[in-house]
Amino acid sequence: MDDSRLQSVLHPAPGSGSALLDQLGTVMYVGAALIFLVVIALVIHAVLTSPKPADARKWVIGGGLVFPVIALSALLVYSISVGNAPERRGSDHTLRIRVTGKQWWWEVSYELPGSARSIVLANEVHVPIGRPVHLELATDDVIHSFWVPALAGKVDMIPGRTNHLVLTVAEPGIYRGQCAEYCGGQHAFMALYVIAESPDEFARWLERQSQPASMPTEPFLRTGYEMFFAGGCHDCHAVRGTPATATLGPDLTHVGSRYSLGAGMLRNHIGTMAGWIAGTQDVKPGSFMPSMNVYTGQELRALSAWLESLE
Amino acid sequence: MPECRAIAIVISLLLSGCDQPLPGPEVQGGDAERGRAALQKYECGVCHLIPGVPGAKGRVGPALHAYSRRIYIAGRFPNEPDTLTRWLLDPPALAPDTAMPRIPMTQKTALDIAAYLYSLE
Amino acid sequence: MSPVEPRPLPNKLPRPPGELEALEQRWQPPRGWRILSAVNNTYVGLFYISAALLFLILGGVLALIMRTQLAVPENTLVDHDLYNQLFTMHGSVMMFLFAVPIVEAIGILLLPAMLGARDLPFPRLSAYAFWAYFVGGMVFFMTIFFDVAPDGGWFMYPPLTSSEYSPGLRSDFWLLGIGFIEISAIAGAIEIVVGILRTRPPGMTLDKMPVYVWAMLIVGAMIIFAFPPVILATALLELERAFDWPFFIAERGGDPVLWQHLFWLFGHPDVYIIFLPAAGVVSMIVPTMARAKLVGYRWVVLALAATGIISFALWVHHMFAIGMPHMTASFFSAASMAVAIPAGIQVFSWIATLRSGRVQNVVPTWFLVGFFAIFVLGGLTGVMLAVVPFDWQAHDTYFVVAHLHYVLIGGLVFPVVAAIYYWAPMIGGERLSERIGKWAAALMFVGFNLAFFPLHIAGLLGMPRRVWTYSASLDWDIWNLLSTAGAFVLAVGFAVVFLDVLLHLRVKGKINANPWNASTLEWLPLDNYAARSIPRITSRDPLWDNPRLREEVDSGQHYLPGLATGERETIVTSPIDAQPQYLLRLPGPSWLPLLAGLGTAAFFLFLTVKMLIPSAIGGAVALLSFFKWLWQSDPAPSGRPHDIGDGIKLPDYMSGPRSHAWWATTVVLLVDGTVFACLVFSYCYFWTVSPGNWPLAPFEIPALGATLISCAAWAAASGLLWLANRSLRASRLAFHSALLAGMVLLSGSFALTWEALATSEAAPDIHAYGAVLYAMLAWQGVHVLTSLLMAGYTLARSWAGLLDHARRSTFDNTRLVWHYTVAQGILALLVTQLPRLAA
Repeated sequence: MDDSRLQSVLHPAPGSGSALLDQLGTVMYVGAALIFLVVIALVIHAVLTSPKPADARKWVIGGGLVFPVIALSALLVYSISVGNAPERRGSDHTLRIRVTGKQWWWEVSYELPGSARSIVLANEVHVPIGRPVHLELATDDVIHSFWVPALAGKVDMIPGRTNHLVLTVAEPGIYRGQCAEYCGGQHAFMALYVIAESPDEFARWLERQSQPASMPTEPFLRTGYEMFFAGGCHDCHAVRGTPATATLGPDLTHVGSRYSLGAGMLRNHIGTMAGWIAGTQDVKPGSFMPSMNVYTGQELRALSAWLESLE
Repeated sequence: MPECRAIAIVISLLLSGCDQPLPGPEVQGGDAERGRAALQKYECGVCHLIPGVPGAKGRVGPALHAYSRRIYIAGRFPNEPDTLTRWLLDPPALAPDTAMPRIPMTQKTALDIAAYLYSLE
Repeated sequence: MSPVEPRPLPNKLPRPPGELEALEQRWQPPRGWRILSAVNNTYVGLFYISAALLFLILGGVLALIMRTQLAVPENTLVDHDLYNQLFTMHGSVMMFLFAVPIVEAIGILLLPAMLGARDLPFPRLSAYAFWAYFVGGMVFFMTIFFDVAPDGGWFMYPPLTSSEYSPGLRSDFWLLGIGFIEISAIAGAIEIVVGILRTRPPGMTLDKMPVYVWAMLIVGAMIIFAFPPVILATALLELERAFDWPFFIAERGGDPVLWQHLFWLFGHPDVYIIFLPAAGVVSMIVPTMARAKLVGYRWVVLALAATGIISFALWVHHMFAIGMPHMTASFFSAASMAVAIPAGIQVFSWIATLRSGRVQNVVPTWFLVGFFAIFVLGGLTGVMLAVVPFDWQAHDTYFVVAHLHYVLIGGLVFPVVAAIYYWAPMIGGERLSERIGKWAAALMFVGFNLAFFPLHIAGLLGMPRRVWTYSASLDWDIWNLLSTAGAFVLAVGFAVVFLDVLLHLRVKGKINANPWNASTLEWLPLDNYAARSIPRITSRDPLWDNPRLREEVDSGQHYLPGLATGERETIVTSPIDAQPQYLLRLPGPSWLPLLAGLGTAAFFLFLTVKMLIPSAIGGAVALLSFFKWLWQSDPAPSGRPHDIGDGIKLPDYMSGPRSHAWWATTVVLLVDGTVFACLVFSYCYFWTVSPGNWPLAPFEIPALGATLISCAAWAAASGLLWLANRSLRASRLAFHSALLAGMVLLSGSFALTWEALATSEAAPDIHAYGAVLYAMLAWQGVHVLTSLLMAGYTLARSWAGLLDHARRSTFDNTRLVWHYTVAQGILALLVTQLPRLAA
């Protein structure tokens, strides 16, 4: 997938918390560069030129004490004001989404409006633009860290706690995030996408996601459905509307609609789906899903086709 | 010995950069460079080992090195540009028991990919 | 500066015949392979430095493999499993087996010469610590070849490293490797603190100490308070892994964040434990290179001390992303920024010093200039990371990786290489090659910046640290490729340095060199016994202020020109104003430290792989060696004073608070007390994170009655020792009886305390509450066992006629440990009652 700039601190989404942090960064890069150049010029000058008396008070106190105290105080005040920006505080009127880190993928669940039910998906977070979204961040196993650089700074996901992050995205777009706290084996391949869309699109998406999967009628897809159970996929995965309800692996109810497979590793189409199912341990060695190399070619295609049809 | 291994890898990396693929069978209207980009974009490497495509090291399907010298496509059909393009567009249409699904793509993309595969000497 | 007044020197010429020969004879190092039994700081220091540099090379090779893996996206040179071991080992080896040891090693080599002492106060302790570190460290490193190297990252956050997510031995090996470093660091701290405070030359008051000595004194103190949190953290994690005591398991009342607090409460001071000695080195080399006195000496010393103190208030800046109140974060942010101020003071003092003199164009200067550029940049990015909202972005990315290498390679490695070039003539009598050295400086500087500057950018483009590979689509390729190229250039630079050392450094016994025209005592003519005689110090730059000093010292005209007691010896002075107090008789070469070190390493290693019999053998070897070594220590007082010159007559024995042994034991108890304080912190921490009442039902607060009875028993045990002390002079029988009765009562107090804890209904392997109670009990048990062993040893010494009211250091140490144990026991019991106050 072409993701350049989707995961960059230096390319924040306009109007996001990261844009504010980017300003702060720029001030510091420029300030640091200036201080660096001055200090190095002083060192070179001191080394190369003939001896001059150096007054301890002027140099040590002026350069080493007074200047840093002034510069750092200013920076501290500025940084506290930036840090107090509201995106780390929750509010009751926002859309709540719970993101749970797992080795090595993300479970995402939405509370449905006006209902106690929630729907569960994986590895992507859809948000409506222009409206604060409250993320509840937790983990099921080890420590992870939720980080979508273009939208906000990272927040750790720690056993026994729930952390909070409030995001407001101004413009539609796709933003990539990646686990930022080393979490073992395939920490490198634990990514997710935040997909910001207009409120209408978001509402349609949520409506579609809240529906159970429909039973396949076409024989080929029917074969795929049967293969899902024949291969024991339901031991780990759930597909709402079918007898598969396990929660060890990602919920696959609408897997065909997802942007990526394998926690941001692969673009999602029937080819990558088949390759992922048959070669999981090649694509993401050490992940908890075995390479399902028990199917005939036709069965594998049927299974992939059925999963891709779950949109 | 990890050091030796590291040096060997560096050298092989440097050498692979100088590897000029020799032309294989001509594909009318196919652009090998675009083909490589397409292979990367569709992530064909999930299933295939494809020289020159970063991360393409899959073992689900056959390795595609030296493809221009391959005699049969999928062990069934003589390896020539037309068949290869048709195969890329819809494998199950040619071989219903294959594991390779039909991945929606344009005729042009299939030609590009074929051109790239034939550039693999 | 006032002109030097001619005044009579302490000892007159000519010196008696045979005096120098006797001195040389007594300090003769062992020959051939027996050199491994040397305990003298000149040899142990060199072994130590060589071993630390070996680990630098080994850790560097791991880094090159990683950089090669990351040179191009989606590379498959190594797989994720090996890569995770590589970065864990690289970090652990560099921090624990290279950085901390090299600063201690340089201290061990340099300090006695700089202090005009013949050796450090506990030569065999240094030797033991070295062997335990070297053997343990090598075995730890070897795990990478057997696929059992730790893979949890060098700060090993649970629960990733707990037995549920890291079954197998990998994490245990990490805990083991850290154990060896804990031993050698504490031993080093004892040597450094006691050495600096008690073996300075007469007249070297605190404000005349070279800046490097100040830095090491502060570092010694920092080790005493910074290592205990990690000692406790590693012990708790091992208890959790081995016995399922749930300190870090959230569902059972534990909290993985406790690990982070304890680890960084160590980890951040540790960065300054590494940096301050390097800053001290710079403050020594800069004045010599500039041929000018250091500008603002007092400011620099103040800055070092301030850094040491502030460094204990920074640890939370590694945890800004855990979700904490913004004001808490801001406090630690302010403290983290504040630490830049003492760094600024030092940098400007160095610049002012360089301005005020004509700078020598030699290799150490080149490395210093490189150090300035790299360290200043690293400091500036450090300030950025101290800014909380910026840290939310940069934390755990390659920006941090770049920053920490700027600070550590700039702040430590460049000064260390400068130190190698600067002090090489003190070891081999000759400078290393100017030409090769300048090539090395240029290669290292260019290589370093090429290797690490691009990583800042990779981090800002979103590259997290500790990823074994990355997708080509993320635009990180070019920065990584540049970095890899730079890493290899840097490696070539290191190779050039090592080549120069191998070609040009030949260790010599007798040295008479001061090629840079430096001002401090390590540039006196030296032999294995350090300087021939020990001068009275009246200024900070004695060699500049008295140009004849080198000659006077070497001809034996200052203090202690020969052997006074007939043994190896050094002058012990008072801690503040450095007045001579007594002669400390030092032990000579011995295989016992080596044996004890090997035994210790074997004990822990075999225990880790659960081979109990070899482990027991190792433990027995270590214990027997300790016992034999101790038995030879504490020689009898001769009873007559010894003349060291100027009519100063010194005794050769000291007990009580003025003795070096008392100081060393106090240092150990400060360490233990800090560990205990961290345990109490952990107890309170679990209390604060507990969702309901504390302790949670069905657990109880230990019964008040049983607790008070236990407290009384502990106090009585102390009373019996007090009685033993009173009767030491009067009646041997009463002394032995009181001591024996005390041993029984101490054991009984422990049993009573255990009973009292049992009333809490909490087992250690159910909930964090029970786990932390029993952890306190276990810690107390270690002290009871130690006290009993020491009391038994005291009895044995007494029965053997090696202990009486004058020769009593052994008993004094036992008393210190004993009373400490009692105090700790009572405090622990009182802590368990704290919830009553809150109820």
